Amino acid sequence: MNKVIVKICMGTTCFVMGASELQELTDIIPEKYGDKVEVVASTCLDFCSSNEESKAPYVMVDYDVISKATVEKVLEAIDGKLKNGQE
Amino acid sequence: MFIDIDCAQEKKYNQNTYGDYFLSKRYPESGDLIAVLSDGLGSGIKANILATMTATMLLKFVEAGADIKTACEVIMNSLPVCQVRKISYSTFSVAHCSEDGEVKIVEEGNPNFIYISEGKVIEPEYTVIDSDTFKNRHMRVYKLQLKLGDRLIFCSDGVTQAGLGNPDLKLGLRRSGLIKYLLDKINSNPNVSSSELSHFAVRAAINTEPDRKPKDDTSCCVIYYREPRKALIFTGPPYHQEKDNEYANEFFKSSANKAICGGTTANLISRELKIPVVCNNVRSVGKLPAVSQMEGIDLVTEGILTLTKTYEYLENGFNDKEKNAAYDLMQFLLNSDCIEFMVGAKLNQAHYDPNLPIEIEIRKNIVKKMAKILEDKYIKKVTLRYI
Repeated sequence: MNKVIVKICMGTTCFVMGASELQELTDIIPEKYGDKVEVVASTCLDFCSSNEESKAPYVMVDYDVISKATVEKVLEAIDGKLKNGQE
Repeated sequence: MFIDIDCAQEKKYNQNTYGDYFLSKRYPESGDLIAVLSDGLGSGIKANILATMTATMLLKFVEAGADIKTACEVIMNSLPVCQVRKISYSTFSVAHCSEDGEVKIVEEGNPNFIYISEGKVIEPEYTVIDSDTFKNRHMRVYKLQLKLGDRLIFCSDGVTQAGLGNPDLKLGLRRSGLIKYLLDKINSNPNVSSSELSHFAVRAAINTEPDRKPKDDTSCCVIYYREPRKALIFTGPPYHQEKDNEYANEFFKSSANKAICGGTTANLISRELKIPVVCNNVRSVGKLPAVSQMEGIDLVTEGILTLTKTYEYLENGFNDKEKNAAYDLMQFLLNSDCIEFMVGAKLNQAHYDPNLPIEIEIRKNIVKKMAKILEDKYIKKVTLRYI
């Protein structure tokens, strides 16, 4: 099974809109999922400028985009991915 | 040639302010630089006021278009004499340097400057002009042609007289003692910066004192002609997207040290030149997004927030606990002489969302403010290019 990649946007908009709080994920994820999930940072993913109303911060869980991301939302998405992967 | 200039100072022991005053100004249009070092009589506040006054008057005078010789003569003839000691209120050295190496120097009362070329001291010719109004006052006027790698060292008598009265150094460090220290330092590090050399000289002078407590205000100013260290900063995507490739290539091919400020900008260069951006750190460092890496680029940071913080550091000094991306960018800028900003004029719509915190500045404004402080406070040569 492939690793789930969680990409946190560290662009200006996402950073000020809460991406800095998403950093908790770097502690929570390895603890909860071990090496099944990897967290990486990214320069601006460019979602903020493509939407009419910015829904920053953005996080990508594999190819799914999570807008107005929170720790809970991201964990939920990871759970969903892992579950699908097992089926 | 670039003129690297710095001055290190230490105040007399137990005084709360400096009695020497150093002032310098760069004129970007002509490439000229004027520097003044003045030593006020006595120490503390009184000396500080005298020295500040003399230096400021001289600079304003020369700035207003007066010939350096004339300006100095007027000042020499009009500076009052201390009623108690019957000596000048203040002494001064002025240097008017051009980028091509032509330097005019006038000295009145300060120790003679030291001219070092190719590891040797040169004693240049000068003319003496006597004061019309004061018998024992005269100034020395020099006209020199400097080459790449040449240095001029000016100091206040606090340096040359350091250690005065020591059993080993009855006459103090003297000019000859200072020369020895300077040559040692230059021989061991031929490219030593003006900042390092001037601080070294002041430290050496103070170490000559038995108790390491300066007995007089101690200042040393170094002027160094060298190849400029260039820095190029790319921030913000270009207005015309079809020119992305052209600008990315131009940026990458430049021989200058390079920094990218902005995630979108980094992505753009990465896309155009097919060099990946590596973002190793999810954790923010010192309240800013961490730096990323890109092959061939010296520094890659986030944009507006980092620029804003860097400006703050340039203005007030760095006093945060953690060395963050803004600290790195500040060091990058301060380690360069000629700084060029390529400022992309494209707006990021998302930055204008009213929900965003107020500290998000407009890129053009913050870069403009930064350029001004780099020029005024740090005497850098800055060019802005809007693309």
